Amino acid sequence: MGLICVDKLEKYYSNSRLLAVKNLNFTIEKGEFVSIVGPFGCGKTSILNIIGGIIDDYKGSIMINGESPSEARKKRKIGYCFQKPNLLPWLSVLDNILLPQKIANIREGNEKAIELLKMVGLKDYALMEPYNLSGGMQQLVSITRSLILDPEILLLDEPLSSIDEINRSKMQLKLLEIHKKTKKTTVMITHSINEAVFLSDKIIILTPRPATIKKIVEVTFLQRNEMTMFSKRFIRYVKIIKEELINGQDN
Amino acid sequence: MDKIIKTLSTLTIFFLIWHLIVTISRIPSYILPNPTEVFKAMQENSLSIYLNSIITLRESFLGFFIANLISVSIALGIAFNKNIENTIMPFAITLKTIPVIALTPLLVMWFGPGECSKIATAALICFFPSLINVLRGVKSLDRDLIIFFKAYSASKIQLIRMLIIPSILPYLFSALKVSSSLAVVGALVGEFIGSNKGLGFLIISNYYTLNTPYVFATITASSLLGIIFYYTIHLVERRIITWTVTID
Ligand SMILES: Nc1ncnc2c1ncn2[C@@H]1O[C@H](COP(=O)(O)OP(=O)(O)OP(=O)(O)O)[C@@H](O)[C@H]1O
Ligand SMILES: [Mg+2]
Repeated sequence: MGLICVDKLEKYYSNSRLLAVKNLNFTIEKGEFVSIVGPFGCGKTSILNIIGGIIDDYKGSIMINGESPSEARKKRKIGYCFQKPNLLPWLSVLDNILLPQKIANIREGNEKAIELLKMVGLKDYALMEPYNLSGGMQQLVSITRSLILDPEILLLDEPLSSIDEINRSKMQLKLLEIHKKTKKTTVMITHSINEAVFLSDKIIILTPRPATIKKIVEVTFLQRNEMTMFSKRFIRYVKIIKEELINGQDN
Repeated sequence: MDKIIKTLSTLTIFFLIWHLIVTISRIPSYILPNPTEVFKAMQENSLSIYLNSIITLRESFLGFFIANLISVSIALGIAFNKNIENTIMPFAITLKTIPVIALTPLLVMWFGPGECSKIATAALICFFPSLINVLRGVKSLDRDLIIFFKAYSASKIQLIRMLIIPSILPYLFSALKVSSSLAVVGALVGEFIGSNKGLGFLIISNYYTLNTPYVFATITASSLLGIIFYYTIHLVERRIITWTVTID
């Protein structure tokens, strides 16, 4: 029994008359790091928002540890990092990170937020307002904020897409480290195949819209030193996924 | 500092020209008084002008406050339920097509000759411009931020307090600024129609007795009132809203 079970999921947007997701089935085990890859506009964000309990009208069933997504959301078991940073411009970086706590009426000090900011290397920016930060830094703040309530599940929608190459590699290591340490079940959308292979236990490859499973690839590295872009195994995974994505486009 | 000197010199030149025109052309005082007469009238009647200013200020502030309270409430309602917009906007627009000033006699009839009718006039004149501005704020709410608040299961109250109010503040302040000047106009017009106090009454009663210097003095006080009202809001705005971009 997986932690997140998606069964025959279908999502139709009546306002735009678009079928975004169709007959989607997969399970995610507790503690897994799962990446979702697929062409743009195929329905990835829709899937993540349904898992996160933000979109309620869908067909099929989703269970998160036996609960519906919106129950899991209300119990604040999920941390969200959206495709856009979504920071409130009138709050400092620190207050933005504390916002989920404030909404949940949890009265804790700033220590945890400061701790997290230290971890991502943004401690010096704590008291600045978001518009003084670059786009990549804002996204980093948004990732940090998704951790503040110590959720069981992390939903990350292209968290690193606006971060430069060097820092992106650093952040990937950071995410890997966070995942190793906390064993939080993580679902991440990404357009970078390398990133997906590097971070994931499992990669869900989607077809163009309406999104459905093209292939699910389990990623296992026998040794840590295989986890580089230059190892044979790594390259093979990248190749498999690329091929699946490319021949998915043709259909 | 530079700015103050410039303003002062402009004013001095203005009064000088005014003075010269009046002296040279010998316009009678009841048509266009000499600035010195106006200053004298101001001095002699300073207490009365001051006391009546307070009355007009109170009326216009209350009208301003009520109008903005109502328009913010309506805008918040519309933020949560679009249907409210379809119900209320036709009324609001109809109200706008009636020149509010023309309603003043009726308002005096309905609300009596006391302060209430002036407050009502001020409120009515402020209401529509304020509503339009605040509504623009509600329409510009960031959908993605609303989704963020939903993700963390924020209550409606939290949504209003933590997201909607701060988001519409810049629009609210422009609503407040526009309506501050209008409120003073509304209160003055109300006082013209039926009143025995306030700056509007001073203007009208001195107009009947052809005490034109006093009329001028009162007009000056009225415009000062509007300016103070406006700048107070402007200063508060500058202190509160630090996150928006201005082009300069
Ligand atoms: N709120 C909405 N209302 C109507 N249609 C929507 C809505 N959100 C998404 N769609 C449509 O559903 C489809 C899938 O959108 P979605 O955002 O899930 O794609 P995505 O895979 O995340 O794309 P990207 O890679 O560009 O982020 C798109 O065609 C989009 O136009
Ligand atoms: Mg997306």
